[in-house]
Amino acid sequence: MSPTVAARAAIPNYGIDADRLLGSDSLVGALRRRIDGRYAVDEFGGDPHLQDLVLNPVVDRIRVVVRHGDRLPRLGPALLVANRRLGFAEPFVLTAAVHQRTRRRLRIVGVPDIPLLSTLTHKLGGIGSRAADVAAVLRAGHLTAAPLAPSWWGVRVTEVPRELLAATMGFPVFPVAIRAGGPIGLWLRPWVVSVGEPLAPPAGTSLGDPLVAAELSEAVQQSIAAQLAET
Amino acid sequence: MRVLVTGMGGHLGTRVAQFLEARPDVEAVAGFDFVPPRRRLQRATFKRVDPRDRDRLVEFVLDFAPTAVAHFGVYEPAARMSPRAAGLSTEECTVNALGAAVRAGALERVVVRSGIEVYGRGPGRPEVPDEQAPLEPTTPFGRTCLEVEAHAAGVARRHDIPVAALRLAPVSGSRAPSPIGRLLRLPAVPVPAFADPPFQLLHTDDAATAMLEAVVRGAEGAFNVVGPGAASPWQAVRLGNRIPVPVVGPGWLVARTVADVAGSPVPPHVLELVRADRVADGARAIEEFELRDMIPTQEVVADLYAWASVTSLPGSGAAEAQTA
Repeated sequence: MSPTVAARAAIPNYGIDADRLLGSDSLVGALRRRIDGRYAVDEFGGDPHLQDLVLNPVVDRIRVVVRHGDRLPRLGPALLVANRRLGFAEPFVLTAAVHQRTRRRLRIVGVPDIPLLSTLTHKLGGIGSRAADVAAVLRAGHLTAAPLAPSWWGVRVTEVPRELLAATMGFPVFPVAIRAGGPIGLWLRPWVVSVGEPLAPPAGTSLGDPLVAAELSEAVQQSIAAQLAET
Repeated sequence: MRVLVTGMGGHLGTRVAQFLEARPDVEAVAGFDFVPPRRRLQRATFKRVDPRDRDRLVEFVLDFAPTAVAHFGVYEPAARMSPRAAGLSTEECTVNALGAAVRAGALERVVVRSGIEVYGRGPGRPEVPDEQAPLEPTTPFGRTCLEVEAHAAGVARRHDIPVAALRLAPVSGSRAPSPIGRLLRLPAVPVPAFADPPFQLLHTDDAATAMLEAVVRGAEGAFNVVGPGAASPWQAVRLGNRIPVPVVGPGWLVARTVADVAGSPVPPHVLELVRADRVADGARAIEEFELRDMIPTQEVVADLYAWASVTSLPGSGAAEAQTA
């Protein structure tokens, strides 16, 4: 399904697995790698070494309880679609949940397109919100998370990214429900992340069929609503 | 199969001619260019013709009567010639060579070289375009590539033969002249101060392999061919142990002038590579042409630097230090 997954093994990545977290090296070692240019860059502008270095200490402080975490795929591409409330924190919480259960890196869909911030978020594994780009990231074999809204922040609309689901059809879709917890590091109740059953279009549907995409969107929304009612 | 290789004098053209020679199902290989081939060829016929010399070119192609065309007569601006001459030569070469090949009457398939520059860069475009992405080039070389593709598509439509376009990432190798290779090998390289966009390069051999496969298989449609992974300006410059010079806005005018004076002209498509990005989704070509073990972008960059240094002749005493 994804020929680039096999091809990826040959990329010189200086011992950095493109998919899985690694224990980060010492600060001096990391700095030296940076100065020598000995680090991997992927075609989406991601920098796995920097991602581990910067993101892990932040994300590891988030208290999160993962329900049905065993459903998260250990290997290969998948799209997580998650609800959001205030935004901003959800990408970090999702990353924490994925780290906790699979030790995989997570790519966040829909980072802001603001000059300096865009460069930085892309380096940390973010990608833009265009459906074609999300499809490309999945073809490259990454685990990816998109919001159940036009973006992670701003207006509070619950709207299924129908276009996104049409473009990424064929890859497993996991509806994920997030219940808000305390802010990062505070000793309040933990965040709860509940992973739903993976959804796939019925066998034999032509890729990008808008009708099937609409049905899939409906299913994602219902699954998230049901999980939210449960928690 | 009788294969005409246009632009056979370039590194790509020579390499693909070598690959074609080695295949028993290829009956004959012939090519032309304004410079002689880069390596020894065993059974290919080469004729030195300027692509703008219409009469001699047409005569040569008509005599050969190719059944397949591998069109590498797409000249990158500032690689071997000035941007103006490159655009003109590409246009003439495409129109004349394809026209004559059709007129010869035996043509069965055409593969043209294009570039991922055809997608253009700017807001609202896919970051990593696949072959379905809109073609809106934003640089002269991108527009040239699009014209070549359009011309080839016209031939396909009128004569009902399969035509493929290989959209190559910037082709670079230690020995092949390329503007991006020259820029990266300057002692100090201008890089964007507030961005670090990814770019992909393609090794000459992989580009030639993709062309060979496309010709042999009679491929149809567009294919992105890119080196796996990516590099970024800061990272590539440091990998080569050069000094990155952060540049902002109007500073690029100065940087381009300085680079030009230092012997590395920076045409718009190379400036775009450094300032915006230059990546594409190459999954389709890998699958269709079974391209295994492609050389990753960062190895192409490392290869550039492996042959980079032009050591000036040392004075007495320094010779020992050099060889040590």
